[in-house]
Amino acid sequence: MLASIASEALSGLEGKPVQVEADVVAAAPAFSIVGLPDAAVQESRERVRAAIVNSAYAFPSRRITVNLAPADLRKEGPSFDLPIALAFLVATGQASDGCDGRGPLAALGELGLDGTLRPVAGALALAESVRRRGVRGLILPAANAAEAALVAGLEVYPARTLAEAVTQLAAGGGAAAPPADLSALLGSRPASDADFADIMGQEQAKRALEVAVAGAHNVLMSGPPGAGKTMLARRLPSIMPPLTLDEAIEVTRIYSVAGLLPQDRALITQRPFRAPHHTISSPGLVGGGGTPRPGEVSLAHLGVLFLDEFAEFRLSALEGLRQPLEDGEVTISRRLMSLTFPARIMLVAAMNPCPCGYLGDRDRDCTCPAHRVRQYASRLSGPLLDRIDLRLEVPRVPPQDRRGGAHGDSSTTVRARVAAAREHQLARLAGSGVYANAHMSARNLRRLCSLDADATALLDKAYERLRLSARACDRVIRVAQTIADLEAAPRINSAHVAESLSYRIRSRFDR
Amino acid sequence: MNARQHYGRAAEEAAARYLIKAGWRLLGRNVRVGRGELDIVARRGPVLAFVEVKARRTHTCGAPEDAVGAAKRRQVARLAELWLAARPWALKGIDEVRFDIVAVDSSAFPSTLRHLPAAFTLDR
Repeated sequence: MLASIASEALSGLEGKPVQVEADVVAAAPAFSIVGLPDAAVQESRERVRAAIVNSAYAFPSRRITVNLAPADLRKEGPSFDLPIALAFLVATGQASDGCDGRGPLAALGELGLDGTLRPVAGALALAESVRRRGVRGLILPAANAAEAALVAGLEVYPARTLAEAVTQLAAGGGAAAPPADLSALLGSRPASDADFADIMGQEQAKRALEVAVAGAHNVLMSGPPGAGKTMLARRLPSIMPPLTLDEAIEVTRIYSVAGLLPQDRALITQRPFRAPHHTISSPGLVGGGGTPRPGEVSLAHLGVLFLDEFAEFRLSALEGLRQPLEDGEVTISRRLMSLTFPARIMLVAAMNPCPCGYLGDRDRDCTCPAHRVRQYASRLSGPLLDRIDLRLEVPRVPPQDRRGGAHGDSSTTVRARVAAAREHQLARLAGSGVYANAHMSARNLRRLCSLDADATALLDKAYERLRLSARACDRVIRVAQTIADLEAAPRINSAHVAESLSYRIRSRFDR
Repeated sequence: MNARQHYGRAAEEAAARYLIKAGWRLLGRNVRVGRGELDIVARRGPVLAFVEVKARRTHTCGAPEDAVGAAKRRQVARLAELWLAARPWALKGIDEVRFDIVAVDSSAFPSTLRHLPAAFTLDR
């Protein structure tokens, strides 16, 4: 007997339709899976066999051939357990895929030996693909249900065991899980205990970081050890604007595929903050592997990628950041496939000005020989620095600033200003696919940003005198636009451009 | 025939008597297929079984059923497929095809006999 169940395979961040066919005939007994399965799919035989027997179904001794179509798409992971088991049960007449005449359902999930259903990675992306191919509903492990329910217009049927899945399949689904209440999910935001007001002094740096966060611009902080660079960076999440719904779904899709979605949260509502150690490999940072998986740049999508000790990172890893910083995505090619992951990040880097750390300090001498300082600075290539909009020095805090109670605005106040600035940007950039000034395309930049006459004159002068690259010039305008947005100014004036330029020009970085 | 061969024959005899008593119809014993041999081919209702008989006098090398290793399983499965290929009518009315093991264990007196239905399959 022949049976067929619709399922999905994960390819990067996308689901690809797969049809699971099972043929069960009376012949010398064997259980084979064909259709380019990997080791985890091959092992599915043992899980399916045990789950069927332990769910009190019969596993007759016959020849079982399972085909995963299309046969040229590589199938990975345990999510085919459930469709294979269901196809087998239908083929042996122990289950009905009749669906009460309401059209078939797709299925996916990992089986335990006792027949319980375990959650799978990438359920959101897989559910979206089921919706796209026009299948009306999806049976999947209960632990994945909340995630799949984010997909509008898809009926989600959670099942805890194989037996429940069989019941759902026969009845065409019982009661579908209610569609997710997106605004409620989006509203829940865990409180942060780190506040911007914790930081003493550093008013300039705080202002620069506020501008950076408001427009998602890249920042490089330089200063002696212990000045507060890391402390500043760690507090960035507390002033970041909330994710919009579209952004939250994009981030959740990535975390779901990476298997990093927290058990109790169907939707990621906080902007990511990733701080990989400086020994990270290039594939770890930008993504990679035999079947490419998202790296830290993609996990930081629409959030912050914080690289502490920036100059200590491997050169290959740092230079690998060039494409994502410019294009907002990263393309990884391997022998079998080439995949593109989104990577629209705000890069926050921190480093010492020299190997000993005290170059330019108020009252401590640098002990580095001149050539070592040059060598250290030269680890950062021109093209990489060109992509960093704000470069700021974070000096040691003078003693008078270390006293006193209030230290500038609290995170809540700053976040309100940042959120207001983002509102202006969202309104301006509506429909362009990006959400912040830093990611505005050059074309939109010309179309949407208007500079007054003084501002234009100042920018032209800076372009000549400072020998800015064309890209740098565009980036100066983007930052100036953010500064204008913070003030809710309709046009960019010369003060905005001047502040923007002041963040770019730091002689130490410009050799 | 030496003593070991005598013991093996006796075990196959015991297995055959056991299966007949359990309602199986023996379609063949020591069936030669090409270069190999199937110990017992039997049918009961809609079930067709290829039975491998394994006997052990001691447990020094483990229980008899554990002595049917991967190579032996592959051999039995291949011979069964050849046997079926030559007799397409044999599958008429058959619902299940199985590879069974009958283990004859003489490590204690009296000898015991264990029938392991669907002891293995040929997975690829």
